[in-house]
Amino acid sequence: MDASGTRDIDPITFAVIKNGLDAIVDEMAYDVIRTARSEIVKDVMDYSAAICDTQGNMIAQAKTVALHLGAVPEAMGVVLDLYGDSLVPGDAVILNDPYQGGMHLPDIFMFMPIFHGDTLLGFSVVICHHTDVGGRVAGSNASDSTEIFQEGIRIPALKLFAAGVQNDTLIMLIEKNVRLPDRVIGDLKAQFAACRTGARELGKLADRYGAETAAMYFDELLDYAERMTRAEIATWPDGTYSFTDYIDDDGFTDTPLPIAVAITVHGDSVTVDYEGSAPQVPAALNSTKSYTNSCTYLSVRCCLKGDIPNNAGVFRAIAVNAPDASIVNPKIPAAVAARALTGYRIVDAMFGALAQIVPDRVPAAGEGGNTVVCLGGYREDGAPFIIVDMICGAWGGRPDKDGIEAITNPSQNLSNTPVETMEAQHPVRVEEYALVPDSCGAGKWRGGLGVVRSYRLLAPEAGLQLRADRMKILPYGLAGGEPATGAINEITTADGEHIDLPSKINRRMARGDLVRHVQPGGGGFGDPLTRDPERVARDVWNAKITADYAREHHRVAVDGATGILDEAATAALRAGG
Amino acid sequence: MSGFEIHIGCDIGGTFTDIVAQMGDGALHVRKVASTPNDPGEAVVAGLADLLADVGASLSDVREVVHGTTVGSNTILQKAGAKTGLITTAGFRDILEIGRIRTPTMFDLTWEKPEPLVPRRHRLEVGERMGADGNVVRPLVDDEVLAAGKRLVDEGIEAVAICYINSCFNAEHERRSASLLADHFPDLLVTASCDVLPEMKEYERTSTTVVNAYLLVEMRRYLANLTRNLGAAGMTAPLLVVASSGGMMRVETASEIPVFAVGSGPAGGVMGAARLGQANGNPDAIAFDMGGTTAKASIIEGGAPMLTSEYEFRDGISTPSRFIKGGGYMLKVPAIDIAEVGAGGGSIAWIDDGGLLQVGPLSAGADPGPACYGRGNDRPTVTDANVVLGYLNPAGLAGGSLEIDPQLSERAIMTHIGEPLGLNLVQAASGVRKIANVAMARAIRSVTVERGRDARDMVLMAFGGGGPVHAVEVAGLLGIREVIVPAMSGVFCSVGMLASDVEHNFVRNILRPLAQLDAQTFAAAVEGLAADGRARLGADGFPAERINLAFGADIRYLGQSSELTVPFDPDGLRGGDFTVLHDAFQHSYNETFGYINDEPVEIVNIRLAARGIRENRLTFEGVDAHVVALDIPDGERSAWFPSTGGYATVPTRARTAVSAGPVAGPAILEAYDTTIVLPPGATARSDGCGSLVIDVPDSVMEQ
Repeated sequence: MDASGTRDIDPITFAVIKNGLDAIVDEMAYDVIRTARSEIVKDVMDYSAAICDTQGNMIAQAKTVALHLGAVPEAMGVVLDLYGDSLVPGDAVILNDPYQGGMHLPDIFMFMPIFHGDTLLGFSVVICHHTDVGGRVAGSNASDSTEIFQEGIRIPALKLFAAGVQNDTLIMLIEKNVRLPDRVIGDLKAQFAACRTGARELGKLADRYGAETAAMYFDELLDYAERMTRAEIATWPDGTYSFTDYIDDDGFTDTPLPIAVAITVHGDSVTVDYEGSAPQVPAALNSTKSYTNSCTYLSVRCCLKGDIPNNAGVFRAIAVNAPDASIVNPKIPAAVAARALTGYRIVDAMFGALAQIVPDRVPAAGEGGNTVVCLGGYREDGAPFIIVDMICGAWGGRPDKDGIEAITNPSQNLSNTPVETMEAQHPVRVEEYALVPDSCGAGKWRGGLGVVRSYRLLAPEAGLQLRADRMKILPYGLAGGEPATGAINEITTADGEHIDLPSKINRRMARGDLVRHVQPGGGGFGDPLTRDPERVARDVWNAKITADYAREHHRVAVDGATGILDEAATAALRAGG
Repeated sequence: MSGFEIHIGCDIGGTFTDIVAQMGDGALHVRKVASTPNDPGEAVVAGLADLLADVGASLSDVREVVHGTTVGSNTILQKAGAKTGLITTAGFRDILEIGRIRTPTMFDLTWEKPEPLVPRRHRLEVGERMGADGNVVRPLVDDEVLAAGKRLVDEGIEAVAICYINSCFNAEHERRSASLLADHFPDLLVTASCDVLPEMKEYERTSTTVVNAYLLVEMRRYLANLTRNLGAAGMTAPLLVVASSGGMMRVETASEIPVFAVGSGPAGGVMGAARLGQANGNPDAIAFDMGGTTAKASIIEGGAPMLTSEYEFRDGISTPSRFIKGGGYMLKVPAIDIAEVGAGGGSIAWIDDGGLLQVGPLSAGADPGPACYGRGNDRPTVTDANVVLGYLNPAGLAGGSLEIDPQLSERAIMTHIGEPLGLNLVQAASGVRKIANVAMARAIRSVTVERGRDARDMVLMAFGGGGPVHAVEVAGLLGIREVIVPAMSGVFCSVGMLASDVEHNFVRNILRPLAQLDAQTFAAAVEGLAADGRARLGADGFPAERINLAFGADIRYLGQSSELTVPFDPDGLRGGDFTVLHDAFQHSYNETFGYINDEPVEIVNIRLAARGIRENRLTFEGVDAHVVALDIPDGERSAWFPSTGGYATVPTRARTAVSAGPVAGPAILEAYDTTIVLPPGATARSDGCGSLVIDVPDSVMEQ
């Protein structure tokens, strides 16, 4: 293969520019984390940074939240349609409206046009999940909203900075509509600083190579990623592969919500169809088409080998069809705040279908997405607080190795908030943050263990909004592997009463109440009876599974105290069929 | 003859042990010997005896041996540490394994999380809890601590780490647990997090404490052996260890907190570069160290290396992107902020599935080494590209002592790069070199541009075997105008150690808005730290006049998670007016991020670097380097330069030729430990501190 298509491409310059772009977006991402105000950005790292070309094609993305990438094209399209040629140096456009380029309201996009002299060179893009954008529930993430108007402030594509001058009208409007204006404005400034870094550094790249040459190489980068993607897909067997996974329910009824995918491989491209997925729901689980696209691209990307550049060229080989007014392509005024959950299930369903195409690359289902915990209220002195925390995660067993425990979902790249940071800043005490033994799906290769985290409220009272899933529809196993255990939500009140809760919660908590969330583990891969007994014994020795689990799921006899394998007893157990 | 006052700097690497002797009159002598990994002291003693015999001195003339070691890093990489246990607050047994849950790569479903250094079985909980306000929420139960200790001892555990939630605010439970274990289990090595570095963030602190416990056995064994070896040979002088921060630790300190010396290896060179810059008028410089597997960059500002308060130690190459976590073991200790890329002389060039030319991170190392060594590696390396381009002596490297075959370089480059990409030999070789240069420039960018520093305002100090081979072109990529190649650049890490001070680091957490900081709290923290620092240095034998206390305050905007450390002079702040701190923070923030806010700031920690100023530390002023002379006559060979676009015959000279007057490029200067490439238009001259100063020409800038 050759790096050059029809353009006059010098392979060395090509590599230099590719590395240069990777360095620029990472630099932008680093700026955000160092200057942001909210745990959700600086600790959990729910944000992303990218550079787009003049047409809005993403040409590089930092190693940040993967699922933001596929939504950038639609948002850029909105900005270009609205502002097109009128953009000038020093502009910065923000938006969050899911029905005009956004994903859900907390994710505020910022775009900064980058000029080299008078020539538009491209755009810096930084997306941050903000702690609060108003609406009926603190944290603006409730899964039980029924229309978008309950979810917070909708920002169409507006200039936050026009030719370098701050738009005070917009700032004041935002300040009046969110619960923690200092944090929101502080995080917007972090986005602005990072966008400027991108603009400055891309400008230097153009200084060295000339704007026209740079643009030619940007085009080549996209084509190169497309070529690599197509070359791989061409090795996949043609055909249509289907899989359906489910969300437990919408929080109002008990009805599981199907996410149905059919992947058709034809030559060097794929078409993904979501026909058969649930209609849009009167809850905030609806995933905008742009987010559905993003989840689809990501799932395919995870199954490609090779160091394919992280850019929009990959998307060109993938077509996505989603039925109108469905949970994967809703119509206004559907609520969307908790659309990430649906996104996770899209990825799970995609992986289930992809496992039929490239069975040696796809793991069993993981935890099913991070759990979001929002706890908001007022302290004794009346000062507001909002915690937006995310709990991750476990990977399913893989074709040649175990899953991972305590790990970001592969479709994100989230981190976690240090317990000590959280306690120093908020009136809560975390009483447990640990792995849950026996929560893995058994298999030749077991899934990762689930994670438990609990919070005791130290303020007079607060609203708790918690979004989980996989309580009823468990993370699936593959190739004969078993499903993992499901999620648990529970509260122990200050006076000792124990309350079991459903997966999606919006309720009050009083001082001294303890809320505890147990995440699902990851599903198993392969027949559990074929797992190497030594591995089973090692897991018992290491307190990851109990001896009872070993006997029940693997038919392996291990001494629970010493972790020593009883080979004779194991042989007898396994021979017993 | 005797009566010398000799200081020894010694870099004990995996392959070679470099020994440099600094004589009382400032003269430097060097010896490079093969390392003896099973008993590193052997090589040191043998090499030292040899070197001293050469100058007519004996071991009793040695006043001090300072050394850098890779024992800490190798112990982690090879998983050869102590059988380690961990005791935590109930509910937090898995903090170490959970970590920060990110992955360093995206879309990679085959990734593996690093195995925790303590398995779950050996992580035990005790009932206790401190609140975030430092008050006891749940008292410690002694019996639970003893039960945990017994369980671990029964399991054969050698070292145990203790890390409780919020111990950074109240360490009472940790201290009591440590002393209980020490009393009841005298053979168990115990490390409490409050004694390593009492900073907030439980995972980072736990991980650091665990690594410390994990290293205790190996580091103590190593230091004891080395001390014994040197003692048996008749040396009575003290032995010092270079810490990751570039400061020196006494053997006794390194035996207690070895986690501070994990980055010992490369620190010496950076310290040397800092001191050299003070001597030759370049307080702002980039230290650039290119070895066989990686290239490292760090910045020196105002004559001091830039430090980081945390870093991730990982297998092999660290990425220059510092916001990526999850790939290694988190260490929250002061360390020189070094960015490392997998582009060294042995790094292999290859073409990826999409037809893109790549260099590294896979390296042929020193063995089998580059293709031209003819030792079984037939894939092209950066060194092979340099051979093809005529930069390295085709007769042999290391002053001719290592024979090479240039035809093997040519074949490797054509077979693996040229033919698949449709490039001729020189296009392919210069491409490999350029990609390597860009990768190295990226490491430098990450410590300059990412920190808001403009590399163009600095000089590039290039050392390590390969640094001076690439330095001028790397400088050109970054707009740097001046390259400095220090004396003994090939063994500069050893030289640099001789320029270091003894250093101890302390920190006190005083988290609160700066506006609420009162003079009393501040003074108590400062005085407490100062007392700790003076006591430690006093025990090291430093009189008051040789003690220097450097204070810093970690400050951030209210609500941020990352701080900037601003230095301060406590005497100016006794009145309780902390405007100076606020202003210094704003200034530093603006420099780093390019904007400031009119918002409240909070102070997180006060830090102290307590330094004992060593007598006769190397200053580089009038340095006189007695290297093994390279007896090469002036010659010439064919070399290719991008600015001329073709091969031309260029003169080759001994490095020492520059002392007779400036040498203009194109030229190649050879020394026994390195080769210095001067492209057309570059000029090299002496600086009076033993180094070469090279002016980077416009033709290189404009490439």
